[in-house]
Amino acid sequence: MYLLQVNNPAGITSVMFFGTIGMLTLTVGLIVFIIFHQRKVIRYQGTLQRMEQDQQRMLLNASIRLQEEERQRLAADLHDDAGPLLATARLYLNENLVNMDKVSQLQSIYNAKQIIDDTIQLIRNISHSLMPPTLKNFGLESAVNDLFQKISGSGSLNASCRFHDYKERLKTEDELILFRVLQELVNNILKHSNASFIHVTQNINGDRFFLRLHHDGRGLTQSDFEKLNKSPVGLGLKNIQSRLKLLSGNIYFEKDVSQTYYKVTIELSKEEIS
Amino acid sequence: MLRTLSINSGFLPIIFFLLFLNRNKQKKLWVIFLYAVISVLTDYSYDIISRKNEFYIYSFFTIAEFTLYSIFLYYNLNTKLFKKLLLISYILFFPITIYSFFQKEFENFDSLTASIECILIILFSILFLYEQIKEPESIFIYTSKKFWIIVAFFLYLSSTLFLFMYADKLPTMEKNYYWSINFVFNIVKNIFFTIAFLLRKNAFSDQPLMKNQFNY
Repeated sequence: MYLLQVNNPAGITSVMFFGTIGMLTLTVGLIVFIIFHQRKVIRYQGTLQRMEQDQQRMLLNASIRLQEEERQRLAADLHDDAGPLLATARLYLNENLVNMDKVSQLQSIYNAKQIIDDTIQLIRNISHSLMPPTLKNFGLESAVNDLFQKISGSGSLNASCRFHDYKERLKTEDELILFRVLQELVNNILKHSNASFIHVTQNINGDRFFLRLHHDGRGLTQSDFEKLNKSPVGLGLKNIQSRLKLLSGNIYFEKDVSQTYYKVTIELSKEEIS
Repeated sequence: MLRTLSINSGFLPIIFFLLFLNRNKQKKLWVIFLYAVISVLTDYSYDIISRKNEFYIYSFFTIAEFTLYSIFLYYNLNTKLFKKLLLISYILFFPITIYSFFQKEFENFDSLTASIECILIILFSILFLYEQIKEPESIFIYTSKKFWIIVAFFLYLSSTLFLFMYADKLPTMEKNYYWSINFVFNIVKNIFFTIAFLLRKNAFSDQPLMKNQFNY
């Protein structure tokens, strides 16, 4: 009112006319813009929602496939190894044993006992691969040490680990998840990277729990990881992602600044795992 | 003719509100119904009261309009900051009204109060629409009753802003001539209210859209 001080009727009329037309145009323009913009935003949100659902479906499929593969492997181990061993032991202990002479009887019993011992060891190995007793009884640090000792013992590469801030154990189910993730990462390194060393470190920084895996072989960068995740292959990596999702954790793949080794960092919130 | 049409168009939202009462049971819509009733009564009262009292009728209507609009918007805004701003502007509006009331002696229109009211309503309508873009509540915004109500106020007051601003400066003959703008947009406003009251019940309490998150 003070800014638009016009007093003569002609002036007032033109200001009113142009002002009204201007305001009307702006109002209609704004409303039309809002309607179309909102539809665009909703279409975009719909696309994001669909992408997220596709990603979830892919992760679930990968998880189910891995479970089935694990079951098939177990079934194969039991059928191909344990089954024939027990059948052979049974052969030795069949009813014809009573018709043999004492020496032959003792020999058959001894052979059957050997086979049963081998079967027990086989079943023990299968059971350990399902749930390592070291992990359950002594914790993540001991289980990883154990695993790395076996790998180093094979002579194929040098594996070591150092847990800096692991005075208190995590929950058993969280330790199992982290162990499986490390196991999967190590298996991938052994299968694909041609590395000569693997080193795992653990530490806590503020309220973040870190596990870092270093190796000097062919590794993945974060962009490789994301590409593999979006594709139907890379079952193991999807499994890692699903497991870390349970702990609300993040995983980063990168090549070290010195360009001499690859680093995989697993980051978790202390609140989520304590 | 246009004046008669404008005054009688005020009955449209009232009739449709009552006809489709099942769709319009929310308390927020009763505020708009009350506004429509006051609007019709005010229009009819211009013919009854003397010219000297026109100023008081206009002032009363401006205050009632702003109050009812503020109540409606307060319950429809989701952002706390916007709600606080609305409350503050409503509180600050009254000293201006009182000042204008005592400044103007028997002039026929309270331009100052009406202009400020227009500007405030326009600003808050823009804020509401901005909120709708930022956090859309429904797939099609124009299926929402509150959208039509806010747009009705927005369009009516933005079109009549300059008219109200200069109404006290115009001679009576010219003012009556240009008051057609008010009549036309009053009809548009009432049509939009009617559309809002016609929309189905679910169009008001919109289902929130799923929020997309990519956090692990």
